[in-house]
Amino acid sequence: MIQKSAAFPISLIFPPQGHFTQPYLALPCLKAWLEQHGFGDVALVDASIEAYDHFLSPDELSWAAERVAEKLPLDKFGESGELRFDELEGYRAAAESAVSASALIAGIDEAKRIVRGEDFYEPDAYLPAMRSIYHGLRLFSAAHFPSQLTPHNFTMRLANDRSEEVLAATLNEDENPFIRFFRERVLPGLIERKPRLVGLSVIYGSQLIPALTLGRMIKAALPDCHITAGGGFLAYIGKKLLAAPGVDACLDSLIFHEGEAPMLALANALQAGESLSTIGSLDWYDRSSGSAVRVENPQGHPIRLEDAPTPSFDGLPFEKYFSPEVVIPYDINRGCYYGECAFCTLPTVIGPGYRTRSAKKIVDHVMELSEKLGTRNVNFITDCMPPGMIADLPNELIERKANLRWWCDARVEPKAYTPEGARNLHAAGCRKLLFGFETATPRLLKLMKKGQSARATLDVARNCTDAGISVTFYAMVGFPSETREEARATLDFIRSNSDVVREVSLQTFHIDEVAQTYKDAEAFGIEILDDEHADLQLYHDYVSESGMTQTEAAEMFEEMMAAFREQLPLFSGDNIYYFMNKSHYFLHLARDVSPDEFVELCRRRTERRSTEQAVERGLAPATDLGLTTLPFRYTDVVRALAHPLARAVRPDFLTGRYVEDLIPRAGAEIGSIRPAESALAYSANGAEYTELSIDGKQVLDALSEVGSLDLLLDSLAGADERGRADLNRFAARLERAGVLSRTH
Amino acid sequence: MSNKQDQDAPTTSKPAEKLETLAEKLKAGKLDLKVEEVEERISPSETNVFDK
Repeated sequence: MIQKSAAFPISLIFPPQGHFTQPYLALPCLKAWLEQHGFGDVALVDASIEAYDHFLSPDELSWAAERVAEKLPLDKFGESGELRFDELEGYRAAAESAVSASALIAGIDEAKRIVRGEDFYEPDAYLPAMRSIYHGLRLFSAAHFPSQLTPHNFTMRLANDRSEEVLAATLNEDENPFIRFFRERVLPGLIERKPRLVGLSVIYGSQLIPALTLGRMIKAALPDCHITAGGGFLAYIGKKLLAAPGVDACLDSLIFHEGEAPMLALANALQAGESLSTIGSLDWYDRSSGSAVRVENPQGHPIRLEDAPTPSFDGLPFEKYFSPEVVIPYDINRGCYYGECAFCTLPTVIGPGYRTRSAKKIVDHVMELSEKLGTRNVNFITDCMPPGMIADLPNELIERKANLRWWCDARVEPKAYTPEGARNLHAAGCRKLLFGFETATPRLLKLMKKGQSARATLDVARNCTDAGISVTFYAMVGFPSETREEARATLDFIRSNSDVVREVSLQTFHIDEVAQTYKDAEAFGIEILDDEHADLQLYHDYVSESGMTQTEAAEMFEEMMAAFREQLPLFSGDNIYYFMNKSHYFLHLARDVSPDEFVELCRRRTERRSTEQAVERGLAPATDLGLTTLPFRYTDVVRALAHPLARAVRPDFLTGRYVEDLIPRAGAEIGSIRPAESALAYSANGAEYTELSIDGKQVLDALSEVGSLDLLLDSLAGADERGRADLNRFAARLERAGVLSRTH
Repeated sequence: MSNKQDQDAPTTSKPAEKLETLAEKLKAGKLDLKVEEVEERISPSETNVFDK
């Protein structure tokens, strides 16, 4: 290693929002590469997990609750006599905050402790804890209404495909929670450290506003620091972004595709005071004339992957991720050896070419990381594992007794995933594989250029299932020309093979600018709709000559998800949190719980929650119970907001479903909510919003007054057996929801 | 039990009277004891395990 001047500190920052269960890989790869090439002072900052951890704290939630009470007073809704569509989200936020803030503030530390510790493996502890975390984020978001930070996304009212609105969002402290967070929690450390170069990793659209917000704040605080950004999302819209007026206040340059070579060249050039004009895959602002002039450098060459060192995760706050054990992300290859799928955009994100590491190098690296980080769990990052590697990697892992547990994405390769091949994978620690199934309709598979049949996918899946590997299918609804009947055929196919398919990652099809479906729209029978005001547009609406409209596809998504919840034990009730939270299901498999055993665990929980329980006669309202009367029914509001049209009114980079000026149309179709009094209950133990009639609330009040259920039954003179049975049933349901609890 | 809104509401009947009213309604089968728990619908942005 060549040691360069230590006086060139570099900070690599992962801005919010990414998932909170495990660290991301890109920045540890860059850190290791820079260190290998002589930059010894490279710090990693996962500002996303830091933000989640900070926001989900008693102090921040208390602050949020006070702010919500001021910003969204419950009694101000429905003044016209009805609750209008445009009031629904605010009303829901106000109602939830009113009833659950106290319990969430009191219980949030315990919820985090559960998901980070051994209690994670106990469903009756884990699932309420996860619900508390989701609800805590809803409370925190309500303080910045209508912005929403979830474990999966960050959206604001401002359209994120218009640079003017994106830049306005970076200055809107009332609705952008990250301005205060960066000022108080990130900037002080950076000002002390004085990095000469900051790299921001923007993989997802949800990171765009937070990344530009942070870039702007660093530039103001540290004018001599060069701020660059890169990552998958910017590979799509980076050129448009740098061309937008005002972005030069947030960034100095942008790296396209793989970051190692450009980042190193940038650090070298900045340290030497040289021009940036020869750095491949870098676009930058030349400020030498006094104003920012955009310069586009030619595309550079990717690195030889085999030369890349072991990623360095040093400095990441492992104790803060919302998982009990670390799952190490590690990339075995970059690019896709198949590269034909018509909907796929990955070649644009990854850059040209397909490269892989040798099995020996992969195992060297993951064994080193496993020992260093004290975990045997690995998430192999790959767009699809090449057929040769499906045999080589397990053989190497077995031969070297690596004793790892891992999961990854995979392409259907019938010759590789034979019964024997699948058994070998399991013996090498593979516990979960995710295959691109997409659809059961041969016509659509051909149109998608998938190069596989549904039958072959099923055979591969069955071999893996038989070997003890859990199988997830990626499926798609709404591919151009797909009919409702074809979507239902896919649903039926999956339903009839639910003994093989444990999870389905269902997505609505959307068109982005780099896929074949956009470039050759006519061949797919669609007309692309452009929005001339959206200068950062990536996703496009379209009109299809045949098949479902986009709205119909969104409705079909709901129908299919509802069916999966009926059919797949992992999707039933709140078991779906295991699916939704990245490695959480895998962590059970990594402890050698078989997929069948886990399914049984899910079934038992669903059964427990749906069958009538014997009533504990000492039941009384939970000591931390929040109970609020509402003028409009909460469940009516939540159902209305689940309508596909209601979802499309919010700018969302993840789904591509955002229709400008949709509010009046959605309002007309979904309608207003009529007044109907009810009561909403919430306790930390149950972590569920439970709606009761006013009668039900009076029973709860009476229970509070007399002290317990048996005393209440004694007090209700003259109640016959049927009445007592009704009351017992009511109490049993409330106990299950945590509204009632045992007094002894 | 915290019930800020209802703490401010005027008391309309005494506990014994309330219990009597409840008992009468229960006896007549007119007590509405429906309980609704909200099953959160999952948005497409939450089902993409590839990305998130």
